[in-house]
Amino acid sequence: MARLELNVDLNRVEGDLEIGLVLEDGVVVEARTIGTMYRGFEQILLGRAPLDALVLTPRVCGICGTAHLFAAVTALEHIAATPVPPNATRIRNLCLIAEGLQNDLRQTFLFFAPDFCNPRYAAEPWFEDHIRAFEPFAGAIYRETLAMTRRAVEIVAHFGGQWPHSSYMTPGGVTRPADIRRLAACRTVLAEVRRWYEERIVGMPLDAWLAIPDAEGYLARLEEPGHGSSALGLLARSARALGLHRTAGGVADMISYGSWCDPMHWTPTADVRILPSGFYDGTAGRVEPLDQSLINEHVRHSWFRPYEGGRHPWKGETIPNYQPHSDRYTWAKAPRYGDRVVQTGPLAELVVAGDPLTVSLHRAEGSSAWLRQFARVRRIAFELEQARVTLDELAADLGGEHVLTPAGGGLPDGEGHGLVMAARGGLGHWVRIENGAIAGYQIVTPTSWNASPRDSEGRPGHWEQSLVGIAVRDPDDPVEIGHVIRSHDPCLVCTVHMLDTGRRIGFGP
Amino acid sequence: MATLYWMQTGACGGETLAILGAQSPSFEMLVSDFGIELLWHPSLSHVSPRRHEEIRHEIVAGSIPLDILCVEGSIVTAPRGTGLYDSHHGRARMEIVRELAERAGVVVAMGTCAAFGGVPASGPNPSDSIGLQFLHDAPGGLFPPDWRSRRGLPVVNVSGCPTHPHTMTQTLAALAAGSPLELDAINRPKAFFNTLVHQGCTRNEYHEYDVEDGALGGRACMFFNLGCQGPMTQAVCNDDLWNGVGSKTRAGVPCFGCTAPNFPREGDLFATDKIGDVPHRLPAGVERARYMAYKNLARAAAPERVKNKTMDV
Repeated sequence: MARLELNVDLNRVEGDLEIGLVLEDGVVVEARTIGTMYRGFEQILLGRAPLDALVLTPRVCGICGTAHLFAAVTALEHIAATPVPPNATRIRNLCLIAEGLQNDLRQTFLFFAPDFCNPRYAAEPWFEDHIRAFEPFAGAIYRETLAMTRRAVEIVAHFGGQWPHSSYMTPGGVTRPADIRRLAACRTVLAEVRRWYEERIVGMPLDAWLAIPDAEGYLARLEEPGHGSSALGLLARSARALGLHRTAGGVADMISYGSWCDPMHWTPTADVRILPSGFYDGTAGRVEPLDQSLINEHVRHSWFRPYEGGRHPWKGETIPNYQPHSDRYTWAKAPRYGDRVVQTGPLAELVVAGDPLTVSLHRAEGSSAWLRQFARVRRIAFELEQARVTLDELAADLGGEHVLTPAGGGLPDGEGHGLVMAARGGLGHWVRIENGAIAGYQIVTPTSWNASPRDSEGRPGHWEQSLVGIAVRDPDDPVEIGHVIRSHDPCLVCTVHMLDTGRRIGFGP
Repeated sequence: MATLYWMQTGACGGETLAILGAQSPSFEMLVSDFGIELLWHPSLSHVSPRRHEEIRHEIVAGSIPLDILCVEGSIVTAPRGTGLYDSHHGRARMEIVRELAERAGVVVAMGTCAAFGGVPASGPNPSDSIGLQFLHDAPGGLFPPDWRSRRGLPVVNVSGCPTHPHTMTQTLAALAAGSPLELDAINRPKAFFNTLVHQGCTRNEYHEYDVEDGALGGRACMFFNLGCQGPMTQAVCNDDLWNGVGSKTRAGVPCFGCTAPNFPREGDLFATDKIGDVPHRLPAGVERARYMAYKNLARAAAPERVKNKTMDV
């Protein structure tokens, strides 16, 4: 048996990533996800003024700062049950949607799709079409994606002044109201993105796209000129021809924190979402209510001061304990939901929310690299629809408050959490304030869930499981690993505390 | 053609995402129209990992000329000066930066982290982060103060958190064209760091008459109470609007002074330290007694429409 250990590094992800793989006869039998960087954000926040979290936590991640800001502000609001006016929730949702559009399009067409332009595939019947569409800096869809995502984030700049890294959500609301000028400008951006998505990405009107009822209906559309020759259609046909709809399912259990706070019913203590939150039990095949108290993090295989089992983030600690020559291999903690290893992201979001087409494809074929990518592009339709509704609601309530300044201006001591569905999945902030300063801050990012290392029981994380069984033809150019890992939309800077082992990882025999 | 290699160190990716928002020129236009040949960018390149290693080795060996090296992120030196808290295949990235920089025509620090240490270097600095040629506003970076790149330049500090998109693309356009680049006292290209964020702020009439907000979400000036650093911070944010449409101060978010070497400053970022009623830090170059006299007169002269905060911003 030919046994090979290698560390693969992957570009075109947000942040840098190395993966330790053990191959036997060219097939992955063990995988370890290894981050390569440690900055210590949670320690940097300690002792600072509570509102400073609104400035510092967006800077954890350049691609999802709006989601961090949203989680931070709702965590602070949770402490004092601060009232938030509906228009503030609408503006927050709108900006989160704009950031999501940016992410979903860039991830799909700048990061995931170029793998199909690998010379490996030069003889495939679809190759030339993919070069024309997705070749970096040259392909038509690639260039259009650069232009359209530039437009999409203008929406954040209208309310937050800039994207990325602004701090326009404040306890009690947002810093700037909607007016007819900003609404018209945002409608213009959305109309352009929507038209492009209909014509170029899915090849049909949004209503028709959202109305596709099931897997059978979708697969029939794939053979028709409209969707078949669209950008998603091209990707779907090639990815499925390569078998990506049957590989890299990872773990069956999923969590979603629910998408977009319901402006009329959400409060910092009544968590009502427009697309519901939930835990999808992959064994039972049903969705159960989400209970954040079940979230806990293990450090058994991480370079932190050891503790037994898992700890809820409010009891969490981030105390480095570098042990390079042990079976600990990463700075990432291992989050678990109860004792379950879960995946999160657009697939989890749409399965939990019950999008009929995504649910049907999931039932028919199971979780896969292709389905995760499909769900990311599918979610754009929901984002566009929700953005339209949100602008209509803002237009109908132009005189409404955009901020209710908390009484006394300051924040009381206490504990709070903020959960948000970021582009990559569930993002949570847990904060404790003592004597008017931050005394504890724990961030559990989507990539922490998905790229989790092994836990106290030795259970591998979702990515680690998704890689087992993948055949790698050329270890110097492991495009198969690229397809799988990029389908997870990895954000390595988002894992907050990650560090490379600095060595190859070997395991038995 | 000018070759460009982009490297991320202790980064959040903010400069990479911000530069994709640039329009005049855009990042892709640097490649198609401004003579830049992109050797590598971690988020955008599509060569295989093996080919990337070869490119890097060929640069270090001198067989591929490197004209511009962009570094995004702080230089992580922990633990104990080894830099292994930020590594690439077991090598400290700090060392990779060092060997590439020796070959580069010019080294550009993209963002405050690479220039001065930035957020990772704040507070307890858990990763022992430093900038390329500075730690905050003093020597102590990866390279000593007298270090010069092949073209005879110190590290060019294109600071910001993130850096303004056009400050990045227009600096790169100038470097690719071989234009002379005048630098300020902390090695920032003067063309982008010789105007204050305050200039062009739509809240200026409120500032002028000393009509100040005490809570976020209002229309008035944020300098006296809400920690706004606009009058002390050099950047083009209110001159060349972000994403073509806005700036933080226009949107009611105080300027946090993110292009400055001490960003993020200690103390509450949404509060202004004061001596009596007047901010401890005054606009660049202003004398306190005269400023107080001017503000008292200005407040007295404020028209009702400003005093009552009825003017939109």
